[in-house]
Amino acid sequence: MAKSSENYILDTSALISLESINILEQVLKLFSIITTNSVIKELGDFAKYDDRYGKIAKNVLKLKNRFTIESCEIKESIKYLESTDNELYNLALKKKLPLITDETKFVHHTRDKIEVYFTAIFLVMLKEAGYFTKMKALNKLEELRDIRNWRNNIIYLITKSELEKL
Amino acid sequence: METEQFNIRMPKDLVQDLDIISKLLKVNKSEWVKTKLAEEVREEKNKLLMELSTLYANGMINKEKIEKLVGKEVADEMESIKIIAQKSVKRGLEYGKKLRKLHS
Repeated sequence: MAKSSENYILDTSALISLESINILEQVLKLFSIITTNSVIKELGDFAKYDDRYGKIAKNVLKLKNRFTIESCEIKESIKYLESTDNELYNLALKKKLPLITDETKFVHHTRDKIEVYFTAIFLVMLKEAGYFTKMKALNKLEELRDIRNWRNNIIYLITKSELEKL
Repeated sequence: METEQFNIRMPKDLVQDLDIISKLLKVNKSEWVKTKLAEEVREEKNKLLMELSTLYANGMINKEKIEKLVGKEVADEMESIKIIAQKSVKRGLEYGKKLRKLHS
């Protein structure tokens, strides 16, 4: 399976989401993934705990030699965001690359400034490219709906409705 | 945490019940009520916003109506999430097609 020329910047939430539904490795085979040292540190903080997210973070960190890890100077800061997110935002601006996150606050404050998507983009891509059946994509989407709040509910319902049409 | 005074009148029976709980659990009555109220408010708010977000995602209610019901902040955030969820699907479809060609 040849790697495509597509590059994406991923934050902690995106890496955790993709690993939680066991598709991070497949995504890494197909695309070049860039993240920051601050994200690796956040994952390290999660990995200190022995709960579900701690275990997922440990698995993500096992794959870290397959990411490009960069640091980026924060030249433009969004006041509602933490420094880790501001660094990712600046990296996306600098490299003109899409940012993938499942943090709705992050999306809300950056969507007019950079290209930003939810991780559901990979489910749709893998289904459309023929790696997943529709059923598998829908099942993975259901697994991804881990936190049942109103924010994730919108992502789930929109993606589900579009996947069902395929 | 910033706080605000909120006075409520309660039936005497309820206050007596609270006294019993407070004595048995050895907790401050006000603190116990505050914790329980916070749990209930959080749960009810999430339940109601889940219902509202379902109506919105399914196109049964528009942003203006959401804004009238719960304010601009939530309405704006719901709109952002909906737009980016739709864009994620659109971009996923476009690139999925390219990927299929690349690997066929």
